Amino acid sequence: MTSAVISLQGIAKCFGSLEVIRHLDLDVLEGERHALIGPNGAGKSTLVGMISGLIPLSAGAIFLNGRRIDGLAPERINRLGLGRSFQITRIFPRLSAQENLRIGVMARHGIRYSLFRPATAYSAVAREVEALLAKVRLDGRAGVVAGELSYSEQRALELGMALASEPKVLLLDEPTAGMSRDEADHVVDLIRTIAIGRTVLIVEHDMDVVFSLCDRVTVLAYGELIASGPAAEIRRNARVQEAYLGTEHVA
Amino acid sequence: MKWLAIAAATIGLLLVPVLFGDRFVFVFIQMLTASLFALAFNLLWRHTRLLSFGHAAHFGAGMFATIHLMRLAEANVLAVPLPLIPLGGALAACLLGVVAGYFATVRTGTYFAMITLAVAELIYALGSQWEALFGGEAGLSSMRLPWAGWTFATTGEVYYIVLGWVVPAAAALYFVGLTPLGRLAFAIGDDETRVRFLGYNAHRAKTMVFALSAFHAGLAGGLLALVNENVNYGAFGGTVSASVVLHTFIGGSGVFLGPVIGAAGLTLLGALLSDVTRLWLLYVGAAFVLMMLYSPEGLAALFIANLRLWRELPWPSLVRLNLLGGLAVLAFVCTTVFVVELAARALTEGASATAVVLFGTTWSLSSPVTWAIPIALALAGHVALKAAIRQRRRLEDAVA
Ligand SMILES: Nc1ncnc2c1ncn2[C@@H]1O[C@H](COP(=O)(O)OP(=O)(O)O)[C@@H](O)[C@H]1O
Ligand SMILES: [Mg+2]
Repeated sequence: MTSAVISLQGIAKCFGSLEVIRHLDLDVLEGERHALIGPNGAGKSTLVGMISGLIPLSAGAIFLNGRRIDGLAPERINRLGLGRSFQITRIFPRLSAQENLRIGVMARHGIRYSLFRPATAYSAVAREVEALLAKVRLDGRAGVVAGELSYSEQRALELGMALASEPKVLLLDEPTAGMSRDEADHVVDLIRTIAIGRTVLIVEHDMDVVFSLCDRVTVLAYGELIASGPAAEIRRNARVQEAYLGTEHVA
Repeated sequence: MKWLAIAAATIGLLLVPVLFGDRFVFVFIQMLTASLFALAFNLLWRHTRLLSFGHAAHFGAGMFATIHLMRLAEANVLAVPLPLIPLGGALAACLLGVVAGYFATVRTGTYFAMITLAVAELIYALGSQWEALFGGEAGLSSMRLPWAGWTFATTGEVYYIVLGWVVPAAAALYFVGLTPLGRLAFAIGDDETRVRFLGYNAHRAKTMVFALSAFHAGLAGGLLALVNENVNYGAFGGTVSASVVLHTFIGGSGVFLGPVIGAAGLTLLGALLSDVTRLWLLYVGAAFVLMMLYSPEGLAALFIANLRLWRELPWPSLVRLNLLGGLAVLAFVCTTVFVVELAARALTEGASATAVVLFGTTWSLSSPVTWAIPIALALAGHVALKAAIRQRRRLEDAVA
């Protein structure tokens, strides 16, 4: 039997009087690629923020592998094996692409706050950074300051940083947003490889991507879960078609 | 080339006491300690984007701890070689830095700046009240004790203690920027929240960087106390906190050695001009405002940009740029001197002031011509500078 890696139990979020997430229950199962879809403003990013520790809950509880994580600091949640990427790119613009990834890799090698050697002197870290750069197709741009990378390169770096801490559970908030077809295809291939042995929750607008990549799909609208189940089932669900799939190009 | 410059600078610094008299060696000491202080301050700003408005707290802590240690040595309670005593000052400042930094770095931006300001003001207020620890208005004094055949009686001898600490400390600060913590600090300066999602405790990292900065600020203060053999609570004052900010930003906070250019240059100028004007701080303030208006990256960035152009382009094409830039600087310097000196005299002497002698001419304070001149000069400076900036952009486009 597969068990829930992420378990959301009756969670809710209000921003002032605006109810963005309303009493929501959801289990993300071990090893699955789980898509979270829904129109703009449905609360998908808010949900990812709540799971990763960015946004405090108004009600409910979140469990990661059976351990309650709501209320924990983001770094604690990260160290419990959860990594994420952001819908709006959040990289370190003054550092090079390589250094951005190095920050992510360093943490896992236990040299977080070390002061005794240059950051470049750790060869195991350097090797991993090289491999990661190649993975996200930035190996030719390693030394370029991240603020000067092109938009799609920055998106690739964003994804690389989510991977850098090698999380067992990965939350990806619209990883292909704003990418060309070819770039998006590469990212989908990449997610497919890295998803092996991991649990991935992915917010995605492109239905081709969703149905080719994901095992299960959850549909969110106005902060409420309107359907959740195997991809094939969701595709046939009339309510989903009406509420969301018909409007997919609006997003 | 780089190493040649470093070697030349080292030899030059070593020769200072040989080449100059005591008065000037003392100025060099102040340049060195101000430089280290500004480098320490900029460790926080350049990397972590934490702007401390109260770094005098750590500079002063270093001074007082050093004087107390010297007094203990004098009283034969403590047997520490004199050159090592400033390290005690640095450690005391570091300790204060851990505590103050822990609380201040809970916040960033304006709130952080306000907390550092409040901490420094708090200690300043304590300093004026708590005589036993801070010595009241007169402050505390001590004497340098001889060690290992050195008497440390001359300024030249003390200069070598200062140099022997400042150069390695500056190198250490540079090195910190390369270490995992230093790179992490840069990342925190860019996006603190992002760092947390990579598994870092950003607050802990900020506290560590703050403590390191405080350590070096305290070392700078300790060295100055060793030289002065005296300190009073004025060391915690707002002027000290403000001057390190001004030094750093005029010199250029984006380049490692920028703060050194600002601190050493302004300290030197201030010493050279102290006979001519009592209003030095006003001039520094004016320079700061002009710098922030026209070239917020500071002198070091200007210097580097210019150097790049000299390297890439034949020199005749640069004549115009440098002529315009030079004219602008000249116009602004004249304007500032004019306004500052005239205004100061008009204000201090009140109604009795009717005429002021400046630039070899007598100026009537009531004549509109007198006040039209600086306005015209400032306008000319502004126009020349805008033209220079346009010219520079053109040249840079040509290079790129
Ligand atoms: N910090 C916030 N304060 C107030 N309202 C917010 C905040 N963040 C998101 N919202 C609102 O919550 C709703 C859901 O946003 P979001 O989770 O970003 O949607 P999605 O990712 O599904 O497009 C939107 O109406 C948005 O305006
Ligand atoms: Mg979103």
